[in-house]
Amino acid sequence: MMRHTGTGQGRAAARTVEVRSWLLSLLLIPLLLPPAARAHSASDAYLNLIVHSHGADGQIAVEGQWDIALRDLDFVLRLDEDGDGRLTWGEVRSRQDAIERYAYASLHFDGGPGDACVIKPGRLMIDEHADGAYAVLSFNVLCARAPRKLALDYRMFFPIDPSHRGILVEHDGADIATAVLSPENTRIDLIR
Amino acid sequence: MTTVTQFMRSFLAAALVVLGASAAVAEPAVGANLASPAAAFKAPYLPSSDAEVLQDVPSATDPAVAAMKALRVQADAAPQSLPTAIRLADAYVDYGRQIGDAHYAGYAEAVIAPWLDASPPPASALVTKATILQYRHQFSDSRALLRRTIAIEPRNAQAWLTLATLDMVQGDYEAAAHDCVQVTGSAGLELGLACSANLRSCTGQARQSLTLLGQVEGAGEKVPLSYQAWIQGLLAETAERLGDWPLAENHYRRALRLVPRDNFLLVAYADFLLDRGRPAEVLPLLADHTQSDTAFLRLALAHSALHSGETARDTWIMAARFEALTLRGSDFFGREQARFALELEHDPQTALEIAQRNWHAQREPWDTRLLLEAALAAKQPEAATEALKFLQKSRLEDPVIEPLARELQAQLERNR
Repeated sequence: MMRHTGTGQGRAAARTVEVRSWLLSLLLIPLLLPPAARAHSASDAYLNLIVHSHGADGQIAVEGQWDIALRDLDFVLRLDEDGDGRLTWGEVRSRQDAIERYAYASLHFDGGPGDACVIKPGRLMIDEHADGAYAVLSFNVLCARAPRKLALDYRMFFPIDPSHRGILVEHDGADIATAVLSPENTRIDLIR
Repeated sequence: MTTVTQFMRSFLAAALVVLGASAAVAEPAVGANLASPAAAFKAPYLPSSDAEVLQDVPSATDPAVAAMKALRVQADAAPQSLPTAIRLADAYVDYGRQIGDAHYAGYAEAVIAPWLDASPPPASALVTKATILQYRHQFSDSRALLRRTIAIEPRNAQAWLTLATLDMVQGDYEAAAHDCVQVTGSAGLELGLACSANLRSCTGQARQSLTLLGQVEGAGEKVPLSYQAWIQGLLAETAERLGDWPLAENHYRRALRLVPRDNFLLVAYADFLLDRGRPAEVLPLLADHTQSDTAFLRLALAHSALHSGETARDTWIMAARFEALTLRGSDFFGREQARFALELEHDPQTALEIAQRNWHAQREPWDTRLLLEAALAAKQPEAATEALKFLQKSRLEDPVIEPLARELQAQLERNR
């Protein structure tokens, strides 16, 4: 710390400089710590889809299971109602509607021109992942006609966290494929 | 679409079982449980009671959380205010760094995103974005933004400070010395001293570094806690360079009294305890910090050192977390992954490959140390040649690294 000497006006001026200097420090310091301080777990959600193809007419049915971190949902929906930092099943369950509204507003299935598809929500469950507890949303995709093509559009959390990633895992018969959904990659053709 | 890895297949197995039977699932799918240690993860289930605690989340009564919430309200009410946006973004970055949660860097990124679309973007938004990129180890992109900032505002203290940190992390000590001079010119003597003290602790002048830090340390209670704690952390690390373990421990403890949940300090102190053969003390230290991957790795290492039955489960969880990072196509986390491969998976060859790749991105003492340890374990001393030259040039003092370097040097000379 620098010491300032002097009297009267001079000292007052020096004190101002000193305070301003520390105000600057206050703004700077949080950013000074080495980047090694990071911990790595950014936000991921897991979207598991099972695609069933039926018969020769090529009809398709899709079942989904969507795992979304409770931490992420709490950040946008403030699920921890009593604010004690411990999110209970009661707090999650009582906000099921809000969770589903928020989630399904950011996931759309498109069966091509004239074939809008809707999501029919199923039950809400919980799953433990390596980085914490996740809400598990189960759903079926219902289309006006059986689609021959199907694309999905995913924008979960992107407006508030562009580093969020949707990890899509598609199960089609014995095949498993994955894709990463990001703000740069919001649309995936499930069936071309 | 890419083919899913073998590991992820087993990870997803439980989900698949439940999905296949989703129409009929009325009870928790106990049949989907994987064999131990993967049994740590249940299949999706319905909690049996409303009172069941599922997840710790930031508490509304935490002053930092309340402050972020208040800033969010302000920012939402005044979307045209750049200073408010920057304050909120910086609060997110700081909080995320403290508790070891990368989500907050994403929240900060979203807050400043509209400002980065401006032409030209304001310097403060560029620096905040550069800090976020640096936090994510996207060093080249971060450096480019800092250069742009300095081109707009040659005396932007925060840009110089961030650049100094970046250059030190990457082992470019000549550039860092220049940056520290610029920090002194733009932010004042105190920060300039801290900057060069930090630098000297890595360039064979740890004793001088302690003296400089001692001068800065005297600022006492007038300055922010995070600043005091940062100085205490630097003192601890510098004492470690000199092999003065009691002094290092004293400073770690002082730092943690100031900021008890700081992820960086907790992890650095845990590493100190592991090095000193005191793994049992790591368990209570990090018990409440399992969410942070860096902290979790140290817990796993402590369990391993204690030959605890938890080790297999920890190793599985850690591997799953790394796998999740790989799946999301995330940036590279070499230091932790190399250490995990070396010490928990006992796979020196993989550890060496990761450590070498990591060392090309960052060269803090721990990065160099891991490369040397992996090269020794894999019996490939030639893999450490470049790192040994770097150590000679930088003159880094470190009582753990020095014997490793001597041993590798001797092996290289024998092989010659």
